[in-house]
Amino acid sequence: MLSIRELGFGYKTIRALKNVGIDLNKGEVLSVVGPNGAGKTTLLKCIIRIVKPDKGTILIDGKDTSLMKRLALARCIGYVPQNSPSKFPITVFDAVLMGRRPYMSWKPCKKDLEIVAELLASMDLEDIALRDFDHLSGGQKQKVLLARAFAQDPVYLLLDEPTSNLDLRHQMEVMEMISEMVKKKGMAAILAMHDLNLASRFSDRIVMLNDGKIYCSGEPSLVMTAENIMSVYGVEVSINTDNSHPYILPIRPVISSKVKAQS
Amino acid sequence: MREYVVKAGASILFFCLLVSGYGIIAQATGRETISIEDATGRSVEIILPVRRLVVLTSDALEVIRALKAEDLVLGVNTGIARDPRFWPMLKNRQRVGSWMEPSYELIAELNPDIVIGYARHPSQDMEKKLIPFGITVIRLDFYKMRTLLKEVRTLGRILGKEEEARQLTTWYRKNLNLTEERMRDTDGRPLVYIESYSKYHTTGPGSGGHEMCALAGGHNIASGFSIPYPEITPEWVLAENPHIIIKATSLSCCYAMTDLQPLKSIRDNIIARPAWDNIRAVQGGKVYVMAGDIWTGPRAIIGATYLAKWFHPDFFEDIDPANLHKEYLERFQRIKYQGVYVYPRKVPKVISELK
Amino acid sequence: MEDICQQYKSFTGKKVTFMILLTVAVFGVALIAISQGPSSVGFKDSFAALFRDAGLAHAIVWKLRFPRIVMAVLVGCGLALAGTVFQSILRNPLASPYTLGIAASAGFGAVMAIVFGAGLYSEYLIAGNAFFFALVSSLLILGIARLKGSTVETMVLAGIAIMFLFSSLSSLLQYMGTMEEVHEIVFWFFGSLSKVGWKEIGIASAMILVPIPILWKWSWDLNLLAAGDESAKALGVNVTRIRMLGVVLASLITAGAICFTGVIGFIGLVSPHITRMVVGGDHRFLLPASALVGAVLVLTADTLGRTLWAPQVIPVGIVTSFIGVPFFFYLLMKKTREYW
Repeated sequence: MLSIRELGFGYKTIRALKNVGIDLNKGEVLSVVGPNGAGKTTLLKCIIRIVKPDKGTILIDGKDTSLMKRLALARCIGYVPQNSPSKFPITVFDAVLMGRRPYMSWKPCKKDLEIVAELLASMDLEDIALRDFDHLSGGQKQKVLLARAFAQDPVYLLLDEPTSNLDLRHQMEVMEMISEMVKKKGMAAILAMHDLNLASRFSDRIVMLNDGKIYCSGEPSLVMTAENIMSVYGVEVSINTDNSHPYILPIRPVISSKVKAQS
Repeated sequence: MREYVVKAGASILFFCLLVSGYGIIAQATGRETISIEDATGRSVEIILPVRRLVVLTSDALEVIRALKAEDLVLGVNTGIARDPRFWPMLKNRQRVGSWMEPSYELIAELNPDIVIGYARHPSQDMEKKLIPFGITVIRLDFYKMRTLLKEVRTLGRILGKEEEARQLTTWYRKNLNLTEERMRDTDGRPLVYIESYSKYHTTGPGSGGHEMCALAGGHNIASGFSIPYPEITPEWVLAENPHIIIKATSLSCCYAMTDLQPLKSIRDNIIARPAWDNIRAVQGGKVYVMAGDIWTGPRAIIGATYLAKWFHPDFFEDIDPANLHKEYLERFQRIKYQGVYVYPRKVPKVISELK
Repeated sequence: MEDICQQYKSFTGKKVTFMILLTVAVFGVALIAISQGPSSVGFKDSFAALFRDAGLAHAIVWKLRFPRIVMAVLVGCGLALAGTVFQSILRNPLASPYTLGIAASAGFGAVMAIVFGAGLYSEYLIAGNAFFFALVSSLLILGIARLKGSTVETMVLAGIAIMFLFSSLSSLLQYMGTMEEVHEIVFWFFGSLSKVGWKEIGIASAMILVPIPILWKWSWDLNLLAAGDESAKALGVNVTRIRMLGVVLASLITAGAICFTGVIGFIGLVSPHITRMVVGGDHRFLLPASALVGAVLVLTADTLGRTLWAPQVIPVGIVTSFIGVPFFFYLLMKKTREYW
């Protein structure tokens, strides 16, 4: 179990996270939603220690991650960033092989190569295995980064807006892959999401952040209510429930003073 | 007819008036102008007498002292502060910045009649900045043997020190003639490798070093080169196998120096260069180091005499360049002879036999 | 699936082949270089002299030509390697060994020795001072990075500031210097391999060769740094440590390469790019291959520099640009990527 307790973090003058607590069980997909600047990405970065939280602890099966070596942590938690800068050429195969870095020595062994090859095959990336990462489409890039995180063989997977900038088909493919992997390998995933519909469609639980604090959390149908979205996003929506997943249709933005009055 | 005479008379009268008027004006200001040609080849009008000088080059400063005109110097380049013992009287004059880029504001404030710089330094800026202040810029090098005498005479005319200039040029001429005369009897020219201030950079045609070598009766192994200060390989020197190696060092201000060690260690370094023990000059100990003070500048004649003695020891047995140096410093510069300028001072015995 | 593994292996095999070819090229150019010189020791004699003590020819080959070749190879390897490391840890294709102001500060050290060391004429003083100041600049960078965070932007900006600081200090000293000293300073900045003997090679090789295995061992970390700080951290790389130590080691290599020879430009910038075009961005292959490319370039440049206009030598720093730029343009035009 991944437990986040009373997490707090501030950038210089802005407090980005305040007293955030989340528990994540294996086999679960959890989406973190909230408007821009709510602290979704910061939360993920704190968990994987790209930034160091000011307050609070993160425990993996009761073990404090701040006492773990970076390499040990990399074997537990995989991270898919929103974008990956590629100033220099790298082949898809090598990019995925990087995911094996927490396990391998200087020379990748046969097993490492096999894992990568298998992943590429299963994710339909075979044909582009030796292409330059930079020459891929946005959807392909996202799949490669996902493959890299899978190659890392982690228990927990953190994904920062995995579907932004993807076309409909790629959005679905990526989300399917994530939930499939989570179920198959008994992993757990935290996704920072902008698309509320995709979030409710694929998540077991949703945490709604606002201004660095947890506004509410729970099953998608409990969190995705018109009231919650109105007060967090300032947008009037109508919610339809279809196949037990709430479906959100935005109507119009509401003037912020009105939102405050309501909340 | 009468009218014509009157007109002619009037014009003659007018002309006379004009001439005498000009004479009166010239007399009243007491100023006469001369035209000189400076190191850049242009001619410069100078209003005499010149009473106030700013001197940006230590070479010019040395000649000015030789012409007994140092009292006229108001401003000097900052560099001379590095050699205060050589400039006991001038070291406290106003410093106006470096020889490359002086402060024009300070110069303007000193309000000299003329400023003396090198032909190429400072840049043409100097004229642009100073002429509006009524300051005349003269460019004289004093570091090229070929033009030294001419420049001394020019400076003599500018400062009204023709007699002193004549004495100095006579002295130069006498020593140059002596060298040339002796050279006439020598048999052949030794091969010489000259190394300029940087390691493995020689001096080809167009450089002062090449000129001096020729004057002193040596054959510069870089004679066929096309650039003045080319980089060369140590192997080339080995292949040319010179009889003599001359190293010019940027070590200057040697007036205050008493220790031979710095010059000696430069020589030791050359002798120890890889594979150079195969070169005749190294085998015969004919590796000489010369300080910048007498390598270029007004004292290059002394450097050239050293070279001549090293190249042709048998023909210059009775001549001690150090005495020449002593005479120059005491007679023309009016300072005590001291300092260390060459190493080794004596021609090693072995070579005379080898030769 | 088997197929992908096979493809990848043959892909790796190509890289290894390229490196073998480069090694052959280094030896090939070295063989030509050793037979070239102004003395009468020609092609045959020089090889005979290489293995047999044959008097003068032996001395020429072993004491003059051979050290020059070894130093060219060392300097080429060092600059190319340092350039590769700087480009990845600063994640900047425009970085070179001189980006963080090392050339400017080493130059300042040399200028200082030339101007103030007048009484103590010694090449070792110049080299030692150049080396010392090269490291001072990298320590300054590290200091700033410690205070302000070791991001790429901080370091590059600090490097630029340091470059300006030291080049103005050099200018100040040049301004104060005499004509003779200014002359000597200009030559130092040209770069030259004439000055090196076995003793210099001994010192330089210690500084250039010792960091190499460490950097090579970090290949994966460098690969990951190139993919971004966040990904690198998430995959277990201690980004700050690698970046800081990387700067120190690459600076050490650069300082070792330039302290005896002066500034030889362009190699450190262009070798990594040339190599990346052929072997890609994996540092396990990129580092050694780029070192070999650097060695071939410097050795070729120096051999051309001393034979084209013999016996006058065109300083190696000038020739490297002449042969590097056209080659670089050719590859740039041929490739489809935005830059390289």
